[in-house]
Amino acid sequence: MTAIIGAIRRNTELGLMILAAVLTVGAYVLASLGRTSSLPANAGPFLGIVIGLFVIAHVATRRLAPAADGTLLPLAALLNGLGYVFIARLDHTLAGLQAVWTALGIAAFVGTLLVVRRTRDLERYRYTFALIGIALLLMPLLPVVGRNINGARLWVRVGSVSFQPGEFAKVALCIFLASYLVERRELLAVATRRVGGILVPDFKYFGPILLAWGLAMVVLVAERDVGTSVLFFAFFLAMLWVATARSAYLLIGAGMFAVGGFVAVKSFAHVHERITVWLNPWPLANGNGFQTIQALFALAAGGIFGTGLALGSPQRIPEVATDFIFAAVGEELGLLGTCAIIVAFLLIVGTGLRIALRAESPFEKLLATGLTTIIGVQAFIIIGGVTRLVPLTGITLPFVSYGGSSLLANYVLLALLLRVSDSEATRRSTVAAESVAA
Amino acid sequence: MNRQIHKLGIAALVLFVLLFVQLSNIQVLSAKRLNDNRLNTRQAVKDFSQPRGAIQTADGVVVAESVDTGDQFQRLRRYPTGPLFAHVTGYFSFTFGSEGVERTYNNELTGKATKLRLNSIGDLLLDKKHTANVTLTLTQKLQQVATQALGSRKGAVVALDPRNGAVLAMADYPSFDPNPLSAHDQKVVRADWNQLTADTNKPLLPRTYRERYFPGSTFKIVTASTGLMNGVTTTQPVYPSLTELPLPQSGGQTLKNFGGERCGGPLPQILAVSCNTAFAQMGLDLGAQKLTSGADAFGFNTAPPLDLPAVARSLFPPASAFRFDKPALAKSAIGQQDVQASPLEMALAGAAIANKGVAMAPHVMAEVRDSEGRVIDTFKPDQWKKPITPDVATTMTDMMVGVVQHGTATRVALPNVQVAAKTGTAQTGNNTSHTWMVAFAPAEAPQVVVAVIVENQPNVSEATGGVVAAPIARAVLQAALPNP
Repeated sequence: MTAIIGAIRRNTELGLMILAAVLTVGAYVLASLGRTSSLPANAGPFLGIVIGLFVIAHVATRRLAPAADGTLLPLAALLNGLGYVFIARLDHTLAGLQAVWTALGIAAFVGTLLVVRRTRDLERYRYTFALIGIALLLMPLLPVVGRNINGARLWVRVGSVSFQPGEFAKVALCIFLASYLVERRELLAVATRRVGGILVPDFKYFGPILLAWGLAMVVLVAERDVGTSVLFFAFFLAMLWVATARSAYLLIGAGMFAVGGFVAVKSFAHVHERITVWLNPWPLANGNGFQTIQALFALAAGGIFGTGLALGSPQRIPEVATDFIFAAVGEELGLLGTCAIIVAFLLIVGTGLRIALRAESPFEKLLATGLTTIIGVQAFIIIGGVTRLVPLTGITLPFVSYGGSSLLANYVLLALLLRVSDSEATRRSTVAAESVAA
Repeated sequence: MNRQIHKLGIAALVLFVLLFVQLSNIQVLSAKRLNDNRLNTRQAVKDFSQPRGAIQTADGVVVAESVDTGDQFQRLRRYPTGPLFAHVTGYFSFTFGSEGVERTYNNELTGKATKLRLNSIGDLLLDKKHTANVTLTLTQKLQQVATQALGSRKGAVVALDPRNGAVLAMADYPSFDPNPLSAHDQKVVRADWNQLTADTNKPLLPRTYRERYFPGSTFKIVTASTGLMNGVTTTQPVYPSLTELPLPQSGGQTLKNFGGERCGGPLPQILAVSCNTAFAQMGLDLGAQKLTSGADAFGFNTAPPLDLPAVARSLFPPASAFRFDKPALAKSAIGQQDVQASPLEMALAGAAIANKGVAMAPHVMAEVRDSEGRVIDTFKPDQWKKPITPDVATTMTDMMVGVVQHGTATRVALPNVQVAAKTGTAQTGNNTSHTWMVAFAPAEAPQVVVAVIVENQPNVSEATGGVVAAPIARAVLQAALPNP
């Protein structure tokens, strides 16, 4: 039975991977047509590399997670491929690097599937992951290796390699949180103490979460990284709520968010500035509002169908290859392109949550929920920020934006989701086979 | 747990629908408002950064070209000859728009012109460069001669080929360097613009075709031509010899000759010495209607169809303006009072006489070639005004030869080539005057007509035009003719 499900899912995956590859290569050729008058000389090797990477990832799932869901990898590949085309169109230097990051990302994906053979392996090392997560978060604050880039201290430089540890910390802390919450969820769900008329869980059980949470927040505030702070807050809260089924946590969380947000706006100039720009960027058109306004102009210039690949001028938006890549997609592929991106993320979130629903063990459920929430929230806050739906918080668009740390971390995240998916599908088919045998 | 995961899914759906709504709002509903936003320079930058052909002179000197830069505007407009052709090519500025040929031939330079499109339908798929290069009728050689002859005196020089209206030189002083205005750093552009516009010498003003001056005595070629068209001959009437002419309706005002000189006689004689009293009398005799019609026939009150932006209309008052103001009519007949002419207009008046009574439409474009050098457009000569008959034109030419041989314009004479000319001095007050010269050569088959004005020269005398402007006209004629 496992073999049958696996075969169906892997063949679906293969078909979708081919589709993603065709779309990526097609977009690349179109972008090259727009920039120069001849077909790109490097189309052949590029095609080879893209297909090669996709094949490697696909073969890895066939071998290592044969029964896992067949849509997640092609969706990630499509986003990654499309993002690569835009990065190549915007900046040749970054394109070369992004190709390397993609290869490393796929390697990380395969490596994760290879190392994490059973989800309970992860559960066993929960405190290790907690420590790793916290350590990663703290790294940028260290004097020698920490780096300030664009006013936020979220980079670490070792030798000639720079990376954003926060991207990996989110995965590590998600694993820790899932396993910790699963173990203590009953205790956390039962309020035993009364503080000022409100029933709250025993601090003994709640403490570690609050500690991890609080530390993450403090560290992120110190690093001036609003985007990651919001992301952490959101997935901590979602996991807590799913684990305990207590809506009170949502209320408390919302209250904390409101207070924290208020304090941040009052006490941090950069947060205050973001809110001001969000409310009305126009008076600051040549100052802090420039990026937001240029993004709006780019999206408007795209209209429904877009200007066509490489025929717009998204290079006018600062940070367009990273945080604002969505605006570039909107300009050159129009509403159709931006909707495709949104739908791709929605499908990833839907698939991720379906995996969570079907998973048997609470740990797998919670892990899948947490990982999916990370992808969904991250996509929402950056797309919402670029489109001025919510205040802008600098963060990458998963799989699409330029960035090695982001790409690697998200491929690891994807591999973990597939591992959970494979485990639940294997279990279900085993159960089905047993019932048939009986 | 599953209930919460379901709810999480619904929350995600709602949030992503919100994103979709916001995107539809930005990319569709508000798109036009955002595109038209004053702060949105996206389209302007796109227009500004598109490929653009070169402008070159008839003798093959590139006077405007685009070089790749790789910044947001992609290519920079350069003017290798600096101020020399600034008022012809104009500038190409992101903040202040464009001027000159850059403006009038924008469609050709950027490849938007119909002929270019038709030629390139087959090339559409190949995404070829379909910009075109504009070749001017002007030569760098003559432009340089005119500019150097004028030197650093405010004024203008226009040289035309009377046979087809081709502008051969169009020089003025002061000019400006179009390079800083076309720069990409808009701070540089604005600083330069502010400096140029604050300059009281108006370096941005193309004096040759957009400035108007009192034409002074050069207008007498229009009065004389109109007289000849209306019964005046080379012998009749003989204008009385006077030092001043009493003006009707003026309560005792008189119109004086320069320096109180006494002059009179038949038309050739009064033209040779530029006799104010006689021409004023001729104007009074012709009457307002005929003089106004005569001026209109020469192109006054109509902007010449020159292929440059905002060409000035030269002014002559309507006949009704003179009904109760005969002194004004008398003064207008000698190019004073309310008569104002651009240097281009005076060159065209000379061109009409030189070209058997027909003024050809003036133009600076000779031809347009595509990026591979094929000619895709040529300027077709076109008649603009026919103020006089060929006979009157011949008579006028003969008399203007007389002005050079034994009149006020002796200094414009060339060896071996007969030059026809008329001088002018227009009083501006402050004891200075604009000095003029309209000349063409060879008189028997004119190939070049030149109009010269030098502003605000001291020493108000009829000879001034002959002294200051004549050498400039002479230098231009000499350089323009194949074997002077």
